[in-house]
Amino acid sequence: MAFVSQSQRAPNESYTFASRPRPVENRSKYREPPSEQTHSNYGNIMYDRRVVRGNTYAQLIIPTTAQPDPVEAQRQQENRRRAIARKRAREQFRPSTPEALQGRKHIDVQTELYLEELSDVIVATDVQCQTDAFLDKPATPLFIPAKSGKDVETQIEEGELFDFDREVQPVLEVLVGKTIEQSLEEVMEEEELASLRAQQRAFEELRNNELAEVLRLQEQERRHSEEKGRRIAQQKEVLKKEKETAEKIAARAYTQQYLADLLPAVFTSLRSHGYFYDPVEKDIENNFFPWLMAEVNNSLEKRYTTRELLDTIIHDVTQKRLKMFKEPEMQ
Amino acid sequence: MAGCLIDPSRAPVAFGWRAVPQLFEELQQAEADRRLRALASLCDLMHDPERIYQAVNGGFLEQLEVLFEDEDSSVRTKTCELLHLMTAHSIGRQALLSSSLLPPLSRLVEDNSSSCRRNVHRVLNRLTLLPAGADALLTLVPKLMLKLRGEEDEEEEVQVLLLSTLSSCSRLDALPALASDGVSLLGHKLSHRSPNIRREAAAVLMALSVCEDGKLQVCEESLLPVLVNLLHDEDIEVQANAAGVIMYTVIITTGKKQCLDLDVIPVLLELVSKKEEVEEEKKRKSRKALVMYSLRALTALAEAPDGRRLLLEQLPLLLRRSEAAEEDHDIRRDAQTAVRVINWRP
Repeated sequence: MAFVSQSQRAPNESYTFASRPRPVENRSKYREPPSEQTHSNYGNIMYDRRVVRGNTYAQLIIPTTAQPDPVEAQRQQENRRRAIARKRAREQFRPSTPEALQGRKHIDVQTELYLEELSDVIVATDVQCQTDAFLDKPATPLFIPAKSGKDVETQIEEGELFDFDREVQPVLEVLVGKTIEQSLEEVMEEEELASLRAQQRAFEELRNNELAEVLRLQEQERRHSEEKGRRIAQQKEVLKKEKETAEKIAARAYTQQYLADLLPAVFTSLRSHGYFYDPVEKDIENNFFPWLMAEVNNSLEKRYTTRELLDTIIHDVTQKRLKMFKEPEMQ
Repeated sequence: MAGCLIDPSRAPVAFGWRAVPQLFEELQQAEADRRLRALASLCDLMHDPERIYQAVNGGFLEQLEVLFEDEDSSVRTKTCELLHLMTAHSIGRQALLSSSLLPPLSRLVEDNSSSCRRNVHRVLNRLTLLPAGADALLTLVPKLMLKLRGEEDEEEEVQVLLLSTLSSCSRLDALPALASDGVSLLGHKLSHRSPNIRREAAAVLMALSVCEDGKLQVCEESLLPVLVNLLHDEDIEVQANAAGVIMYTVIITTGKKQCLDLDVIPVLLELVSKKEEVEEEKKRKSRKALVMYSLRALTALAEAPDGRRLLLEQLPLLLRRSEAAEEDHDIRRDAQTAVRVINWRP
């Protein structure tokens, strides 16, 4: 059941407790408390069974004079019995002294005769003490240990604290060392480069040498092969020419033979075709004879014409005579 | 103690492992003064290979790219000097190659300040110690040729550096330099008064004349008389390089003819037969190079009929060189080859 309670610790350390008045909850004795608040459940006390009604004087008397309820008596007996049983169980479970070891026996001893009065009352008194607030702590005295040992003095002379020559030595060493280191590096670098170049140059020279030889041999090879090529070509030319010449000769011989009797044959055929002629004869033939024939033709034509003319005349004459003959006959 | 600097031209260096990172952080400050000091300290530190390793692995190289575009020319110069020191080691060279610093560096070749240009050329020269570096610089070769052409009065050192860079690049691949008309340019340089320039120019020519085109150009530009003159030079390296160019050029027929016209065989024979005194190692090496190149040139010349005729007369001299008396194995081999070629019958 949730409730607001004030329980404070008072400054003088006594415990107080105060809570709001609240009605008793309706619940059975052996039941679990309900989880939710049961504000609504609390009822009117007028109707609560647990509240005593009426006159309370009479109530007090009645339980003493009334007969014991048998149920009540039985219940009481049961309680008694239960209590006895509980006691017994408790006694049983109470640890008793362990059994005696082998060879020994427990004996009860009473020390009444040897009782002593405890008269040693220790007197106790209460004493209080309180320190003062923030008292300043006094200055602790200087701790000066007891003097022991020898007394010794010392004095620093001039020039002893700082000796330039000695102090400057490491600085000098570093400076000189660094300079030398730097210069050594530079020199090494240069030497390395120089040796690299020298090596390269030596290699280059050898290479040039060999290269020259290679090129020369190459050139030689080229020349030789060119020469060979040229010679071979020349030889081929010669051969070709020879062959050509031989062919020409053969051809000429054959042709000569073939054409040996070509000439007379040609001449004869030409002559037969009339290509060889006597020019005078030809001229006479071509010019004179046509003219002669033409003249002969002309003269013959003239004769024919005259003959024809004569014929016609004769014809005419005969015709006329005939006519003349016929005319008289008719007369 | 921290307030005053022991050396006002250098920034204070932190101890041990923190030195390099702290200096690089200092480089990002705004004032040119502090940057200059930090750069000076870094230059001092970079002589140590371990510091170079630390700088490279810490990825600090990209910060240098910003410094290339700085307005202050001394900052740029110092940055290039720093790179120059870093490329002294292989790690530095490789790091420079794999970083993206090459394009801005090549832009700096056109810089206004001459000391900056000089340092840039130093860096490029060192970079060519690595074959991959020379490879990467091949694209720059035309630009460098232009630079060489344009600066007649440039300092000798820059010219020497340029020529040396060009020779390393051309050894890998001669075509870019040839394409930029290198042969004629170098012909001018051959007659320079300074022996260093002559030496380097002859070295570039030697690299260029390895390829066919180069040989032809050398013949066309009629550089052979100049080279034969150089054979009489005092400086032995110049002689060696000139002999090298001749050695390559006489491989082709045109070169042979020209050289025979110039009557170069006696000169070469004289060079071969000169008995050297005990000299220091470096001179001995150059001497050896000279003798080797001359022998090779003679071998090539012996393939021409005229040359062979001349050399048959001088055969004993060469035989002497090819004997076991000669301590140098290579020279002996070369002499034997020469003798063999001279005695060859078809």
